[in-house]
Amino acid sequence: MASIPQRAGSVTQRERREWLLFALLLAPNLLLFGVFTYWPLLYNAYLSVVRWDFLRPTKPFVGLANYASVFTDRQFWAIVLNTATFTVCSVGLTLLLGLALALLINQPLRYRNAARAVLFSPVVMSGAVVAVVWSYIFDPRYGLLDQLLGFVGLNSPDWLNDPRWAMLAVIIVYVWKNLGYAVVIYLAGLQGIPRELYDAARVDGAGPWARLRHVTLPGLSPVAFFLSVTSLLATFQSFDIIKVLTDGGPAGATTTLIFHLYELGFVAYNAGEAGVVAVVLFGIMLVLTLIQLRYLERRVSYG
Amino acid sequence: MEQRKLSRREMLRVLMLGSGAAALAACGAAPSAEPTAAPAEPTAGSAAPAATAPAAVSQTGSTVTITYWGSFSGALGEAEQAMVQRFNESQSDVQVEYQFQGSYEETAQKFTAGLQANTIPDVILLSDVWWFGFYVAGAIAELDALAQQAGVDFADYEPVLLNEGKRRDKQFWIPFARSTPLFYYNKDIWAEAGLPDRAPETWAEFSEWAPQLVQRDGDTLTRAAFMHPNGASYIAWLFQGVTWQHGGQYSQPDFTMTMTDPNTLRAAQFYQDTANSLGWAGLSADINKDFIGGVAASMLASTGGLAGITAQAQFPVGVGFLPKETAFGCPTGGAGLAIPSGTPDEKKLAAMTYIAFATNPEQAGIWSRDTGYMPVRISTKQSPEMTAFFEANPNFKTAVDQLPLTRAQDAARVFVRNGDQIIGRGLERIVVNGEAPSAVFAEINDELTSAAEPILQDLKAVEG
Repeated sequence: MASIPQRAGSVTQRERREWLLFALLLAPNLLLFGVFTYWPLLYNAYLSVVRWDFLRPTKPFVGLANYASVFTDRQFWAIVLNTATFTVCSVGLTLLLGLALALLINQPLRYRNAARAVLFSPVVMSGAVVAVVWSYIFDPRYGLLDQLLGFVGLNSPDWLNDPRWAMLAVIIVYVWKNLGYAVVIYLAGLQGIPRELYDAARVDGAGPWARLRHVTLPGLSPVAFFLSVTSLLATFQSFDIIKVLTDGGPAGATTTLIFHLYELGFVAYNAGEAGVVAVVLFGIMLVLTLIQLRYLERRVSYG
Repeated sequence: MEQRKLSRREMLRVLMLGSGAAALAACGAAPSAEPTAAPAEPTAGSAAPAATAPAAVSQTGSTVTITYWGSFSGALGEAEQAMVQRFNESQSDVQVEYQFQGSYEETAQKFTAGLQANTIPDVILLSDVWWFGFYVAGAIAELDALAQQAGVDFADYEPVLLNEGKRRDKQFWIPFARSTPLFYYNKDIWAEAGLPDRAPETWAEFSEWAPQLVQRDGDTLTRAAFMHPNGASYIAWLFQGVTWQHGGQYSQPDFTMTMTDPNTLRAAQFYQDTANSLGWAGLSADINKDFIGGVAASMLASTGGLAGITAQAQFPVGVGFLPKETAFGCPTGGAGLAIPSGTPDEKKLAAMTYIAFATNPEQAGIWSRDTGYMPVRISTKQSPEMTAFFEANPNFKTAVDQLPLTRAQDAARVFVRNGDQIIGRGLERIVVNGEAPSAVFAEINDELTSAAEPILQDLKAVEG
């Protein structure tokens, strides 16, 4: 907004009033963020440099000892890898499958609304409930999945007790639960692409593939960007499904950074090392968000 | 004059940072809302915790209401509710309100948080691996004087169980839901395999039986001869006995860790073999469910699940002592009751009145018959009700007969903060990942040693 030069006195007064209103409107939010976000954030950073078990009256300063002990733990890098696998696969699959399904049910098919409802229903279910149901589906002896695999002559792996399969199982459940959300957002995006663009493309002789490539996908890029940011943040935080489905196991195969933080903090009662993991997580999310804002947003067409 | 205004983009950026940080803050909260029943207890089919039955209260002015935090749900939760109700109906001075807190671990978590927030219960159920940490932190009260006031006769408590809750001759933890592991077996599968109707005497004998008990579909084990629990379901508790059976131990009484003792490693190698080279055992997050569902022919599990498992299984359940190797070894386990130090004095006595009731000879008998936990009173075992019950349910007698042969667990599991889970995770790596026991346990040995350090410091400060 360009400011229009006016006489000095009245500008200052109006400006002051504007700022006051601005501050007033912002205050409730700032207060909430301050108390529940920024203060815990600072306090967590402090916890990461002390030794504390939630019980002692004192918190002796230990410098970077907690950092050293977290980073030299041989399991830590396996956990980082688990987190990367889980996040990349979950977000990637959700975005791709969500797009495919959105394009499919955007067609004027019969029962389209029913299909949308079915796709969206897992989103509103509790993660714990979803995990309990899937733990039966995955059972290699009587599970639904075992029966389905049986039709094509395959044996079900012991999904949840085999470290080679457990992560895939978690990803399947996570994507299944969150796919509907991506589909709904994509559908909204599809509705928002002006019809004229398709008509123009047709006139120019563009086939279905070219229309998808040059009209639909660029038109969807703002929602894809929005989805990538929100699902990345959500995936980093996902805990409920892992806790109930595998409890981070077997043998740590599905332990992600968030789960590790929980174990260090609320099972091992090591506030210092849990604080370190929280700082690491914060750093990663900050960097990812900045990258997304600076780099991806530039390539997004807002039409 | 320069005007500073936030552009839309800048505003978005601020909000984005905020939401990232909010996301992180959300991570810090303990997401422990899911009721995961204590895995040492039967979880299969166990429904949500029974709601507190509002007992009829005759509200006289002198009634003291106290809060009791516990970890029992499902069948055990019902038995516990019934106990509280009997107490509330038996007198009008004290009213107990039972509040289910989740597993043993979650109960300890909430107590820790409660200590910070100054909202603590008046009676708390703490498991074998948790009471000691709270004792060292000065969070639970010494009970001898209160016990005397409430007329509790410690001489009639099972000494093995009572002494575990003693430090420097003072009582801090009173045995209530105390258990030992038992060898559970599916009698139908046993009969089908033509095996004698008893638990194996030794692991060598069981290794001969096991191939007759398994069922396979290709490479998949569709029925395991034996099922190990995972770390969260206390594999380190069951392996404690197996370690002793092999002549090993987790640690010495002075907290010197002995995870790399050749016999401890031999026991770990045996556990690995059961799942790998011998291939007749599996590891599962819910062994009770597997056993009841006929997916596992046998398991080691707590006596505390006996009533629930017997009721749910569609086949006759057999139990026996733990198998021997070079020796017999069996740990005690389960949970006891404590009173927080911060509880106001007038409520402490009320809390002790409840503990006295819940562990009196008659109630200890009812609790034991309802659940399978040990009768904690010596006189309970000889009561006519108990004798008749044992005759009708010989499985329950097996558990009681094994009690004199048990011993208290090694410091590494019960006194080192998180020691149970540290050992449990190591065992998962050995059994599930097939990693070399010597390498894993060397790592675990170091981890336990450094985890023990602060406890030793605190212990020195507390006990001198």
